[in-house]
Amino acid sequence: MIGRIKIWHLILFIFVLLLAFRFMLILNSYILLGIYVGLLFKNYSEAISQLSFSLVDIVSSAFLVVLIPAWIIIFHARLKFLNQHVTFTKLVIIILIVFFLYAPIITNANPGFQQNISETRLLPPLSSIEVIHLRNQKAKEQNIFIRFINKKDEVVKNTFDESIVFADSIRLGSEAVIYQNGEQKIFPMDTILFSIGKPVITKKIFLFGTDEYGRDIFSRLVYGARISLFVGLGSVLVSLLLGLSLGFLAAYPGGLIDTCISRITDMFLSFPAIFFVILILALFGNSLFTVIIVLGFSGWMSLFKIVRSEVISLKNKDYFFSAKMAGLSGYKILTKEVLPLILAPVIVNLVFQYGSVILAEAALSYLGLGTGSFYPSWGAMIESGQNYLTQAWWMIIPPGLCLFFTLYAANSLGKEINLFFNPRLKND
Amino acid sequence: MLFKRVISSVVVLFLLISFLFFLLRLSPGDPSLKFISPELSPQLAAKVRESFNLNSPLLNQYKTFLINLMSGDFGISYTYRIPVFSVIMDFLPFTLIFSTLSFIIQITAGFFLSLISVKKIGGKLDKSFSRLSLIAYALPSFFLGVILILIFSSLLNIFPSSGISSFDTDSYNFLQRLADYSTHLVLPLITLSLSGIAVYYKYLRENLEDVYNKPFVLNLRANGCTEKEITRRHVIPNAINPLISVAGVELGLLFSGALITEVIFGLPGMGRLTVNAILTRDYPLVVGCTFISGALVIITNLIADVIKVKLDKRLLKGMLN
Repeated sequence: MIGRIKIWHLILFIFVLLLAFRFMLILNSYILLGIYVGLLFKNYSEAISQLSFSLVDIVSSAFLVVLIPAWIIIFHARLKFLNQHVTFTKLVIIILIVFFLYAPIITNANPGFQQNISETRLLPPLSSIEVIHLRNQKAKEQNIFIRFINKKDEVVKNTFDESIVFADSIRLGSEAVIYQNGEQKIFPMDTILFSIGKPVITKKIFLFGTDEYGRDIFSRLVYGARISLFVGLGSVLVSLLLGLSLGFLAAYPGGLIDTCISRITDMFLSFPAIFFVILILALFGNSLFTVIIVLGFSGWMSLFKIVRSEVISLKNKDYFFSAKMAGLSGYKILTKEVLPLILAPVIVNLVFQYGSVILAEAALSYLGLGTGSFYPSWGAMIESGQNYLTQAWWMIIPPGLCLFFTLYAANSLGKEINLFFNPRLKND
Repeated sequence: MLFKRVISSVVVLFLLISFLFFLLRLSPGDPSLKFISPELSPQLAAKVRESFNLNSPLLNQYKTFLINLMSGDFGISYTYRIPVFSVIMDFLPFTLIFSTLSFIIQITAGFFLSLISVKKIGGKLDKSFSRLSLIAYALPSFFLGVILILIFSSLLNIFPSSGISSFDTDSYNFLQRLADYSTHLVLPLITLSLSGIAVYYKYLRENLEDVYNKPFVLNLRANGCTEKEITRRHVIPNAINPLISVAGVELGLLFSGALITEVIFGLPGMGRLTVNAILTRDYPLVVGCTFISGALVIITNLIADVIKVKLDKRLLKGMLN
């Protein structure tokens, strides 16, 4: 049955789900954008100082929620890849890309959100907890800046929220009595938010449970996909640049340069890359960008070998010789004569490289040397879950499965691309 | 041929440790600061700093390092306060045994599984093995290890979850001690070997299938050779050759330590030693560990080449050119 569905059906289905569950959020982010544009005209410097990554993130996600379905509906007949049938690999890749682009819209909590830790820590999947909303002391002034701040608090998720309290049970009388882990807290009625004459009490459901700090595991998974994909793409790009340029540089002139670069490559291959990565990160400090660059530096060797051997075999071909005699520069020869020929093996190599980089990033996070605690990462989630192994299996299984599916998808995607470029392999 | 290979390997090894030497010395931070408490008098502090020999010019340090290296002396480990070589000797035997065991498991399991699945290409067993190998290859080792601990240690309580031996082994005789060690090694071996089995299975299955489809197998069948004889005497020797160089590299990398597995199960191996040395800025130990693992990689590669040439004399010609 799953084979009948085409990719564009799947993507549209995901967008319908997003729109159905997060309609208010998307609407609010458009309103926020409108207010922000107004603020830009009124008070330019304040508007600029309020600009932050999370603001840009959610507004652009809200825009893409409309733009991409429109693009798909218009062009689905013309674009070939949208009409392929859905396989497991493609399903995983699409879900990862959706996570990457729409993380702030999919999740309803900041990945670092902590509140009433004693109440929310280590909750099992699908557990719910009562939330009582307090009246917030927001100014009612109709200044555009205040309106912007209020709207922003509504849309952009913070790591804290003073207007809600989690509780085991709530009893309402002349004042609200809240029980938290056997402890009793009393809130006077005038601090509690009322709507239509009743205090606002909702239930918050944690889809995949919470971790030891009471953070929502589902939103951490979604944001973890972001980091994983970002690190993977960045370091594959670094590897591509290094491998391609060094391979060409070694093979094109040949001689002493070739020997030197080949020896250096051998040097990098003679011990596991993870030690090199750990060494650099430990000596020079770890941040998101150092991790990307170092992982890129640790993976260029296989690409270098492919490019070098291809260019060496090309050098004896007549058309290569004639291109050189015609006076083409080295750069032109690389882009016009060499690149189209080695594109297939390079792309296949890059896809496999991508899988191994994601694995390496997760392993680094597992060892505590990853992108830092600021960004949630699957490897770091498994590492912290290891300490609560007997109490909270949900801290390990979801991130582990995410990582597993991503790697599986990357490997089988590499295989499929390989088959696409070498159709002869299929006949065997 | 061999001589030339050895020379270029030695050059690579020399490059590696020189690169490391300069990288460590040029990086920010001072390892001697850890050993100087603020209450120490300035003269004593200067003396401690002097003993690390990090004050002298870089090239002088490099010269002393090279001279010491010629006599097999890597210096004294900053944290352990004993010669680097004896520190490594405490950790290397475990890693050698552990990696060799894992390597044997990987090779034999991959070999027999691929033989079984190639018997009926496209059959049920073949398909399920191929799918399983993809799954095993994509399973991150730390996730697998944690899951194994969860199932076998904490739920079923069959195997211990960490360490290499139990606490009260003094009264044990040799056999009991061996049994103790082996129960401790079961989960780490599974964790380390599973992805390797998948790799060898994939390689060997492809090679075996290729060889089975070659015309000479058809000819042998027509001549009345039994299937068993064809497989044993003609197909396997032809299929196994490309695997040997892969196996050589893999074994060498295994010898430098299975870092993740060691961290999960708390094993005293080279991987953890190296990483701890890096994290504590124990410069001589880092260089020593890298030298040993690099040397092992190069030696295993050389052995793989020699075996390859032994199996197929024609390869020697290609290597000579």
